[in-house]
Amino acid sequence: MILEKPLLPYFEWLLQFDKTRWGALPHFLLTLLVIAIATLLLSLLVGTVLYGPLKAGDKVYRVVVNGFRELFSLSFRRVWALARLAIQESLRGRVLIAVAVFVLLLLFAGWFLKTEREPARLYFSFVLTATSFLGLFVALLLAVFSLPNDFKSKTIYTVLTKPVRAGEVVIGRILGFSLVGTVLLAIMGVCSYLFVVRALDHTHTVVGSVLAKGGDAEGNLPETTSLDKGHRHTIQQDDDGHLFAEFAHDHDHHVGESNGRLVVSSPHETIRARVPRGGTLRFKDRQGVQVARGVSVGKEWGYRSFIEGGTQAAAIWTFDGIDEKTLHDEDDGGEALRLELVVRVFRTWKADINTPVQGVIQLKRPGSDLKTAPEFFSAKDATIDQRYFPRTLTDTNNQPIDLLDDLVDEQGQIEVVVQCLDRSQYFGFAQGDCYVRMKEGSPLWNFTKAYISMWVQMVLVIAIAVTGSTVLSGPIAMMFTVSFILLGFYREFFVRVARGIQEGGGPVESLVRLVTQMNLTAGFRGESETTSLWIMRSVDSVFLGAMELLANVLPDFGEFNATKYVAYGFDIPANQIAQQLTMGAAYVIGLSIVGYFLLRTREVAK
Amino acid sequence: MAATPEIPNSDKNGERRAREPDEAQVVVETRALSKVYRDFWGRQKVRALKSLDLEIHKGEIFGLLGPNGSGKTTTIKLLLGLLFPSEGEAIVLGQNATEVSKNERIGYLPEESYLYRFLNAEETLDFYGRLFNIPADVRRERIDRLIKLVKLDAARRRQLREYSKGMTRRIGLAQALINEPDLILLDEPTSGLDPIGTREMKDWILELRDQGKTIVMCSHLLADVQDVCDRIAILHQGELKELGRVDELLKVEDVTQVKARGLSADCQDEIRQVIERHQGELVSMENPTTTLEELFLSIVRDSEARPGRRIVKQEPTKQGKS
Repeated sequence: MILEKPLLPYFEWLLQFDKTRWGALPHFLLTLLVIAIATLLLSLLVGTVLYGPLKAGDKVYRVVVNGFRELFSLSFRRVWALARLAIQESLRGRVLIAVAVFVLLLLFAGWFLKTEREPARLYFSFVLTATSFLGLFVALLLAVFSLPNDFKSKTIYTVLTKPVRAGEVVIGRILGFSLVGTVLLAIMGVCSYLFVVRALDHTHTVVGSVLAKGGDAEGNLPETTSLDKGHRHTIQQDDDGHLFAEFAHDHDHHVGESNGRLVVSSPHETIRARVPRGGTLRFKDRQGVQVARGVSVGKEWGYRSFIEGGTQAAAIWTFDGIDEKTLHDEDDGGEALRLELVVRVFRTWKADINTPVQGVIQLKRPGSDLKTAPEFFSAKDATIDQRYFPRTLTDTNNQPIDLLDDLVDEQGQIEVVVQCLDRSQYFGFAQGDCYVRMKEGSPLWNFTKAYISMWVQMVLVIAIAVTGSTVLSGPIAMMFTVSFILLGFYREFFVRVARGIQEGGGPVESLVRLVTQMNLTAGFRGESETTSLWIMRSVDSVFLGAMELLANVLPDFGEFNATKYVAYGFDIPANQIAQQLTMGAAYVIGLSIVGYFLLRTREVAK
Repeated sequence: MAATPEIPNSDKNGERRAREPDEAQVVVETRALSKVYRDFWGRQKVRALKSLDLEIHKGEIFGLLGPNGSGKTTTIKLLLGLLFPSEGEAIVLGQNATEVSKNERIGYLPEESYLYRFLNAEETLDFYGRLFNIPADVRRERIDRLIKLVKLDAARRRQLREYSKGMTRRIGLAQALINEPDLILLDEPTSGLDPIGTREMKDWILELRDQGKTIVMCSHLLADVQDVCDRIAILHQGELKELGRVDELLKVEDVTQVKARGLSADCQDEIRQVIERHQGELVSMENPTTTLEELFLSIVRDSEARPGRRIVKQEPTKQGKS
């Protein structure tokens, strides 16, 4: 899967610090600083109102100095003692019921998860979504009620009268619940993986009267396998005379022989972890002139740019870093460059709807006219088309050329040119629609990476819940955390509203529109600056400012959902996991600091 | 249950330190300590404590006495740093009460034992022990000793949710002693205990004092305070009303009490005449009664010695203890 915005390299993501973009670390430090200063000013203000300026200054000074001193007297022994307590609390609180629920869900999942196409996608989406939500839910319930319960039952009195720093209470809780969650996720992960592997495993029997390997007396071979799991395969013979069940339904089978009968093996590569390498896309218009974008065929299709068939219009991808390692070893002993291409077809006339629109794909050396002989293909609309280019190819003049030596230039770049052949029909492409398939990743490791993402998300929820519950009562802390999660899931929309990009205006304006049943895009009557409009806009701008500030500390929960990678069989980039882990750590650190000050400045007793 | 509670000496070196409090060493000091409870909007609700000045010395049992709502518990919470003073300050073991590090040498038994109900006795002590810098083997040995001390050996693996009130108090005390503290704060130590439990608790408190520890306790049960405290402060509506040594406070300077056994009626008459001759006023002359607590305890002791026999009446003078 090619991301719309490619991931930045890890260190650039972390450390970059210039006008165009602030890296994660500077952003984190700035946020901490802003929060610190704002809190300081606010507490001084409140303190001055309550006690007068001198005393308020003294109190704030003491809290800050104390905070720094206690930061350095954190003891892992005490943190671990408190974490153990959290673990014991969870276990005695029957957290294992969650596991039981999950296992039960899996046991019966097979009954209602039936599909004709790409079962891996369905199974993976199901198990990953189920674990993700169940994990979040359990983590939330555990973490959010623990501290408030301690306050309510006053057990916190006996803890805080021991030499325990407030920070240790917060960190110990986060650590303890995270460990419980980790074990929970691990159990659910193993169950899920086994479930998917078992569910995808199947075989067929060979249909027909010819069941021996060599065929019958006339040399006729069996034609198809039986219909199992909603599909059947055609049986083919390869050049070496081996039988195999042809690729269908996302997999193929070997056909072997046992006790004189033909036996279909387990499916191959039902779970994949494709590693795509994306390129940069540019277009040529119908006269063959370079343009930034192709033809637009309307707003609904705006994501992709279109090229017209039967003209010189072309979509050209440039791929970097093509070398021997990029090539795959093929079954026939040779090497090949694997490309995958998604074509969106836009027909301006219907023609024969069953006849696919024809296209042509060529490899080209950048900066030269050397191209491979055109390879024709029929566009399957919106499905991934796999194209293999062997090492030895022929150019447009039918001369043999070598893929690496002749087509790849000194910078290791190669171009892929795609054109549409049918007149007045259009092909649409976005940058991510064509990619080079690198060596396959390990599916198990990929699955594990999806769980790591989920784990980071869970730790985040725990940290937010524990921090919130240092001052809030259980139900309120729960609402707080849930709103944080919800906003986090819809962060993109939230930011769009905050920045005024989203139509419909700020909170007050949308409320007005909602109540008066007004269209999102319609202007207000007259559109002249009446007082009421001015008030509405002013209040909104305050809200929007606050939202923009909040957006700075809001984690993007959607990013932690790696379901789409695993379900569609793509490898999750290690870089992405590293960034998420770093982000998770940053949130835990930041929230622990906030939690420390909240708990330390709170009067524990009533 | 043993009739005469005798606790093993919990101090490892076994040495009994000076029984007399050390006047020179101040363990707890409050200066104009005040507490005002405010509501969410910062409006004053209650003045729970008004400018309290106290000095508590090393090795004494100090009692905070007063009716409900007089500020006893507030004082204890201020000393522990669970509340922040509105005015003034509290110095505990040479540090400000809001410092966390002072807790290394403090033991605290709250009003009701606020403990984790999902832990058993051993786990409870283990958890609290881990919060101190105690080596693991010492911690285990100490847990074992404390469980035996508070007589919970039989229930050590039961979760606290199954404990009776008395057992909870005991494990609460054990938890407060896990770090062998120098200063022990007890909030209503005998509340909810039966007479035997009360007596045991009082004996433990005395025992701890004999080990040289300083004890601050608050209670509204006068008998308890009278029995164990060296000095008391009486609080009422947040104000300090009386402060001093218990024996001095209770001493009635102009009354002399004579107690004798085996006097005939003639002899008693003679004594009356002697008092009259010296212009004294005879306040009372009668056979003394024991306290109810003493009576109850003696009955229990007796029934344990001779099980099965129903005791109808006990000679009141038999077990009399001055």
